[in-house]
Amino acid sequence: MRNLHILEVKLGRTHNPRDIREKDRMKAFGYVSAKDLEHAIALLGEHGARAKILAGGTDLLVELKHATHDPEVIVDVSRLRELKTIAVADDGLHIGALATHSDIMNSPVIRDMFPALVAAAHSIGAMQTRNLGTLGGNLVTCVPSMDSGPALIALDASVTVASAEGWRRMPLAELFVGPRKTSLKPGDLLVDIIIPKENLGKPAAFEKFGLRKGQALALVNVGASFWVGDNSVFVAPRIALGAVAPTVIRAPKAEAFLDGCKISAEAMAEAGRIAALEAKPISDFRASADYRRDLVAVLVKRALANAQARATTKEKELVA
Amino acid sequence: MTDVTMIVNGQVRGASVPPETTLLQLLRDSFNLTGAKLGCDVGDCGTCTVIVDGQAVNSCLMLAGQADGRQVLTIEGLASRDRLHPIQTAFENSGALQCGFCGPGVLLSAKALLDENLHPSTQEIRDALSGNLCRCTGYTKMIEAVQDAARLLREESRSQLTHARTEATAP
Amino acid sequence: MNEHSRVLERDELEIAELRSPDVDLRLPAVVPREPFPIEPLTVDARQQTRAVGQRATRPDGRLHGLGQTKYIDDLSFPGMLYARIKRAGIASARIKHIDTSAAETMPGVMAVLIGKEIPTNSFGPTFQDQPVLADPIVRHAGDGVAAVAAVTEQIANEALAKIVVEYEPLPAVLDPVAAMREDSPQVHAPNSNIYATKVVRKGNIEKGFAESDRIFEARFSTQMIEHVSLEPHAAIADWDANGRLTIWATIGRITLARSDIARTLKLPMSRIRIIGTIVGGNFGGKNEISQEPTLALLSKKTGRPVKGVFTRGEEFIATTTRHPIIMDYKTGVSNKGRILARQIRLVLDGGAYCSWSATTLGKACILSPGPYKIDNVLAEAFVVYTNKTMTGAMRGFGAPQVCFAYESQMDDIAKALGIDPLEIRLLNAFDEGSSSPTGQVLHSVVIKESLRKAADRFGWEPRS
Repeated sequence: MRNLHILEVKLGRTHNPRDIREKDRMKAFGYVSAKDLEHAIALLGEHGARAKILAGGTDLLVELKHATHDPEVIVDVSRLRELKTIAVADDGLHIGALATHSDIMNSPVIRDMFPALVAAAHSIGAMQTRNLGTLGGNLVTCVPSMDSGPALIALDASVTVASAEGWRRMPLAELFVGPRKTSLKPGDLLVDIIIPKENLGKPAAFEKFGLRKGQALALVNVGASFWVGDNSVFVAPRIALGAVAPTVIRAPKAEAFLDGCKISAEAMAEAGRIAALEAKPISDFRASADYRRDLVAVLVKRALANAQARATTKEKELVA
Repeated sequence: MTDVTMIVNGQVRGASVPPETTLLQLLRDSFNLTGAKLGCDVGDCGTCTVIVDGQAVNSCLMLAGQADGRQVLTIEGLASRDRLHPIQTAFENSGALQCGFCGPGVLLSAKALLDENLHPSTQEIRDALSGNLCRCTGYTKMIEAVQDAARLLREESRSQLTHARTEATAP
Repeated sequence: MNEHSRVLERDELEIAELRSPDVDLRLPAVVPREPFPIEPLTVDARQQTRAVGQRATRPDGRLHGLGQTKYIDDLSFPGMLYARIKRAGIASARIKHIDTSAAETMPGVMAVLIGKEIPTNSFGPTFQDQPVLADPIVRHAGDGVAAVAAVTEQIANEALAKIVVEYEPLPAVLDPVAAMREDSPQVHAPNSNIYATKVVRKGNIEKGFAESDRIFEARFSTQMIEHVSLEPHAAIADWDANGRLTIWATIGRITLARSDIARTLKLPMSRIRIIGTIVGGNFGGKNEISQEPTLALLSKKTGRPVKGVFTRGEEFIATTTRHPIIMDYKTGVSNKGRILARQIRLVLDGGAYCSWSATTLGKACILSPGPYKIDNVLAEAFVVYTNKTMTGAMRGFGAPQVCFAYESQMDDIAKALGIDPLEIRLLNAFDEGSSSPTGQVLHSVVIKESLRKAADRFGWEPRS
């Protein structure tokens, strides 16, 4: 009966006739296509809050059809090839914000160094949406269950943002403010995502649980990474949890427990239990908070185990 | 209005449409290519799937302007005047479509897969088709049909190779 | 060549024809007809006819693969307009006032329609309790209250937003069990919310329970399910100068549709032509009219063909769904697992309008005891109005829900008694000549053979 109560409350709130908007077809808007990065930044500076950025469109067009936004102008940046490159530079691995999830899955350097990012990209939507959707778009849409966030947070990623006022860099975690809310201002354009040099090749893993095996939102997702230190201990462990808080969060108590601890299945399970208590999930029609907490414990354990498996494989490759 | 020009099924096509026109609307309303369908309009069902520059995409999630200057393949471009594409033959022989509404999208997703991989495993086929929903069939025969199509395409490429060699060595 | 071999040749030829698609552009030859037999043929259920087990190529497979199949949304006519329907967005209300003036004066809007303009504003396959457009009572959030026809769908959409409707909210009832109470808000006042009932009685239920060693009671419930046919509901309406209406529709039952349209439009059936097109999935959801009278009237007002295609959102809130059923089962069994008595109460959530609920009720009630030999049965079923989406026909028509209940309880009983779930079913299942809960003597009963064969095929290990 409690579920019925929730249903009734929801119906009472959302079925107020004033709240039903005529949706499913887009209203008219102005459209400009940016020729290059400079042009894009200029356009965004010019239109400011009146504009929305079109990258892959897999989220924006849905929002426009559901009349969540009525922007005056759409600035199409999807043709900026310079924002699609994936390459290692002096300061680390740079992934262009317009790299699609398919680009990430197929990138030789990411497949070699970060199978976790491949797994995360592969878990998003389906082939058609992965061919369109971009990493930058996924991060900037900023839903709590975003699949690209946890593994990148676990790898201490940072982002570069460009605007007419200049360029700046910040830790990825500072990008996320709340559900569908980032720290970007009108006129800002996310340009790339960097995994720092010291983390190149760091064993990492991504785990996701959804109600289906494809085209599913995560009920919970987890990113984890650690180095295998001398005497087989966890070094620099990172655990990131998604869909259990307003944004992707770290699990600092679980990390502190693992730091310097001997690597074992028991330690991983314990870290999972601690992380589950650090999660702040809600109950909704997809799952209860309790169920999500259970999932955190299991997925953290699995992610740590998978990261370890990758560490072992890498060692073997290096030795061979 | 946005002016768009693109190559659709090998032909140059152009139109002048309001900017909020999706590629799906452009294909169906402006170019009369009604094979791609409107099933949900939000990229969940896959009935709008077409191939743009070699990649399967949801045409309901692309603005017409984004396809400007690109190559688009729709279901209408699979068969030639003289023959069905092996994917179409395989689906027909397997009885893999019932009401047929999901068909164009599924066949194009299959084509995108087989263009990259002529030896797909069952899991790879499932992955490639996971963006296409079907309420009639339960997908089993579709997977068979894709495997069958892969076989037909492999045979075709083998015989083309033999043919080319034969031609090369002919006096 | 004798008679026998000629017959064989013809049979084999038919099978070969079945297998190959029609590659010839000429029309297929008409199959020679058998003279009508003087004696009725009783086919033994177990005898395979030659066609069974053969693979035949679907004739529509060629068109589907080419993308040539024309569904409603693929059809267009010169001058065609696009219609959209404004949905109430409130579960229970009285419409105090509708102001369509802002929509009517929008450039591109060619006509607007409200419920008052419908000649007979009621339809339905069983009871004619559903309005074409609500007037003045809204009974669920997906009820249509107004419609527009415009030169583009985008304009029609924007016009809907300009239609101003003033509602007086009324109390709503959302739970079917609560809706059965006398003091519950009445969805179709002054009638009771319980709009159909069915009772199946067999034997003596009290005696059955008295003789049982154990009694199991449980409540099972299922949820509302939407067909989600890939093709949304769609139709096109057009009139000719002779006053004849043509409707292209996705409807599966076009004769029923025609009589409902004749009734709502007060038009003789001879003036209505319905063209049922290839449907992109029906599953029961497209078995009655929905927007067709609306489109017809918009077409009449404008003198142009009018097409309406539901959005995916409308598919969920404004088309029929599968009945949620709350099922109370009380089953008396012997210690060996033999069912001696079964008492069932079914409450079907009947949604805002009847649609095919009466049929669903009947099926669910008759099938609710399950395919088991039970001498004492009392099944009481009610279908109840609620202020929710209409519930109607969907594959199974009431059978899947009760199957979930009785099979779940069978497993519960098996577990409690320590009996193998397969064995308990074999103990109770129908045999040839068993009689159904309604007294029908059953033939061609193969349930036990099927269960055993299936168990064998997937390697069921008996456990106790």
